[in-house]
Amino acid sequence: MDMKYTEEQKQLQDLARRYLEKECTIDFVRNLEKKDEEIGFSKEMWASFAEMGWLGLAIPEEHDGMGWGLVDQAILAMQMGRSICPSPYLSTAVIAAEAIVLGGTDDQKSELLEEIIGGEAVYAFCFQENTREFGPKTVALEAKADGDNYVINGSKMFVEFSKGADKLLVVTRTAGKVGEESGLTMFIMDSDTKGITHTHLPTMARDRQYEVKFENVTVPKSAVLGPVGDGWTILNKVVQKAAVIFSAYCAGTAEVMHEYALEFSKERVQFGRIIGQMQVIQQYLATCTIEIYGARTIVLYTAWHMDQGRDMLDYVAKTKAFTSHCVEHICDRGSQIFGGMGYIEETPTTLHLRRGKQYQLSMGGMAYWEDIVAEKMFGPVTA
Amino acid sequence: MEFDLSLEEAGFRDEVKAFLEAELTEEVRGGMFVDTPARVAFVDKLAAKGWLGMGFPEKYGGSKKPIALAQFILNVELELAHAPIVGKNVGVIANTIFHNGSEEMKDEFLPKVFKNECQWALSYTEPQAGTDLAALQCKCEDKGDHWLVNGTKRFITSAHFADYHWVAVRTDPDAQKHKGVSIIIMDADAEGLTYTPQWCVGSTGAERTNEVFYDNVKVPKNRLVGEINKGFIYLMQALDYERFAIISFAARVRRFNKVAEWVKEAEFGGKKLSDDPAIRSKFATLATRVEIGTMLEKMCICVAAERVPNTEAAMNKAWASTIGTEIANLALDAMGPYGYLWDGSEHAPLEGEMVDQYLMHGHSRVAAAGVDTSKTIIARRLLGLPDPLGKPFLPNQAK
Ligand SMILES: Cc1cc2nc3c(=O)[nH]c(=O)nc-3n(C[C@H](O)[C@H](O)[C@H](O)COP(=O)(O)OP(=O)(O)OC[C@H]3O[C@@H](n4cnc5c(N)ncnc54)[C@H](O)[C@@H]3O)c2cc1C
Repeated sequence: MDMKYTEEQKQLQDLARRYLEKECTIDFVRNLEKKDEEIGFSKEMWASFAEMGWLGLAIPEEHDGMGWGLVDQAILAMQMGRSICPSPYLSTAVIAAEAIVLGGTDDQKSELLEEIIGGEAVYAFCFQENTREFGPKTVALEAKADGDNYVINGSKMFVEFSKGADKLLVVTRTAGKVGEESGLTMFIMDSDTKGITHTHLPTMARDRQYEVKFENVTVPKSAVLGPVGDGWTILNKVVQKAAVIFSAYCAGTAEVMHEYALEFSKERVQFGRIIGQMQVIQQYLATCTIEIYGARTIVLYTAWHMDQGRDMLDYVAKTKAFTSHCVEHICDRGSQIFGGMGYIEETPTTLHLRRGKQYQLSMGGMAYWEDIVAEKMFGPVTA
Repeated sequence: MEFDLSLEEAGFRDEVKAFLEAELTEEVRGGMFVDTPARVAFVDKLAAKGWLGMGFPEKYGGSKKPIALAQFILNVELELAHAPIVGKNVGVIANTIFHNGSEEMKDEFLPKVFKNECQWALSYTEPQAGTDLAALQCKCEDKGDHWLVNGTKRFITSAHFADYHWVAVRTDPDAQKHKGVSIIIMDADAEGLTYTPQWCVGSTGAERTNEVFYDNVKVPKNRLVGEINKGFIYLMQALDYERFAIISFAARVRRFNKVAEWVKEAEFGGKKLSDDPAIRSKFATLATRVEIGTMLEKMCICVAAERVPNTEAAMNKAWASTIGTEIANLALDAMGPYGYLWDGSEHAPLEGEMVDQYLMHGHSRVAAAGVDTSKTIIARRLLGLPDPLGKPFLPNQAK
């Protein structure tokens, strides 16, 4: 057993750290936050991601990707989380790419993966419905076969970057009813397809989330990705990977917030000494340190095992639940250490404070994943 | 990066598992100390396998370490099986003697430890010196041909069955408090050594520790470990090891799984307890926290392949001792009023074990660097923050 990064992994981490610290500064993020109309990420930065090979990092070499694994994506995502980098990396290079690799026809793979790797297609993931629950059973968006087409009606919520994206990966219900895991079908379509409207949802992170309405949206059968009515068999794996990468991102954000708070505690003087000399501040910081080490380890552990092709659902759930807790807790506690300045907008860490809690609530929050942990322990609810 | 045990590591683990399957009887199971004839006999068998002296030279009765992680794999498996653990004798005593003791002392004591021929009491804590161990006062005077020891110790576990006491004493009353401490080895039957039990809160099978009195105890000159007045350094080295080697997280995993298994089967008023949404949610949260403990331990194990884990061990210790109480606390919550039924009641779930755990586990949050002290170690050694009790620090003075 050995947890050390390989040379390549170290290089990836260092490159990502250097690049993001230089380009994705607090001011840069604030600028993207400013205007609701704008897409919420930088196309130039996206092009650089493509150039550095990040968008095809985990796409198999046979499809011209780099053929690395989830653990490598997690190492990269931790760095993105450190810079709270606003980018559609998760929805594009993890979710869409993986869904296409697992579910695409040969034609879809050869066409769509290349676009992703080259940075030419940005994807948004339309999964979450207008409900506080998460997961396959909640999917209601209806897609009806109509000759050579499907007609889609309904809406999705909390879709990040949907307006600025080129394409949408849309999870619909073609059979069965809400409450069932089966009956789901995935589609890929342009985000400006006729009948689709994007309504901006103001969020506490000031990221770009939308309510996406589908009104008689008509797409050809060739827009289907993966099996009709059995989309969850693929999506299940995709969502698990996405949860791990999101967790890595959370761990990175928690880590950097902790560093800011530690640094501040060594500078701020009260009662004639730096506040970091006060025991209670030391205890807060030490507690957060333990959580960060735990969070990083479980992210790598889970990702590594998934790369070996193992079923890790239980661990994915624990990873997501713990890192979610961790990022909220550390962003909150870190802000407290800053005293009054922790709550003044111009302080850099308010960016983290606004994100910690939001991240915790995202992608199934704690509840969806803890249900999975409970089910693994106790079996399904019988009553 | 490689999270799986290697073939050799897994092979060793399986060998230990098979051994425990065959040798660990009900009589032996259930206590961490080597305090009954059955447990002594059990550890004798571990010794016969060569598993006590792994990594130590053969001339001292040691054996070749089959693999770098052997010691840790052994400890984890012992904990998982609820067997007596061997970390104290090997980890603290043998390591300290091997690294710091005289050749004569190594020859005398190492083989005995590795053959399980002796049990030890770690005699550090005093009424006035607990967390602040360096405040210890137990006097040790040089009387020319022997040392003369006078003082009172408390909470000395194992003193009632130990063969030797490993005593932290003050050899220089005038030096700074950290600099006047030494360690001596005292025969348990030495004249002037007496003890009385201090029973731990708990049911009839509860743990015991002891108050120990050294009243003009004479100790031979050659029983001072290493160099005089260097004892505090040795103690700190050994504690890093203890936080990790003696307190394996696996015991918490075992306990958590036992409670979860109980919840899964429990029914009250015809309803399955595990259907209760609050129970499911709380156990899921705790299962996640338990998993993080396993992760921190894995991290320590990986570090240990290269050096003694120190700040990592402190993380492991702080988390483990917090989680231990959380497990017992949630177990009792889940049991409701049955939770407070004790050993002896036929209605007590899990024979009342969780009551004892609830009452006693807190001691792990204060002993061998408790939660607060472990976090202080992290703050000071890893985060570079200054001593809260030291002179005031201004900006740029901290690392
Ligand atoms: C069951 C049991 C077995 C034991 N076995 C042994 C043994 O075999 N050998 C042995 O030598 N000792 C043993 N001990 C003693 C144990 O190591 C001490 O209890 C421990 O060192 C704490 O010391 P104390 O009890 O004097 O508490 P104190 O040091 O008085 O601590 C009281 C409280 O103050 C906190 N505190 C103290 N200093 C600080 C600080 N600087 N910063 C923050 N918080 C602080 C502590 O965390 C604790 O919460 C045992 C104890 C128990 C309960």
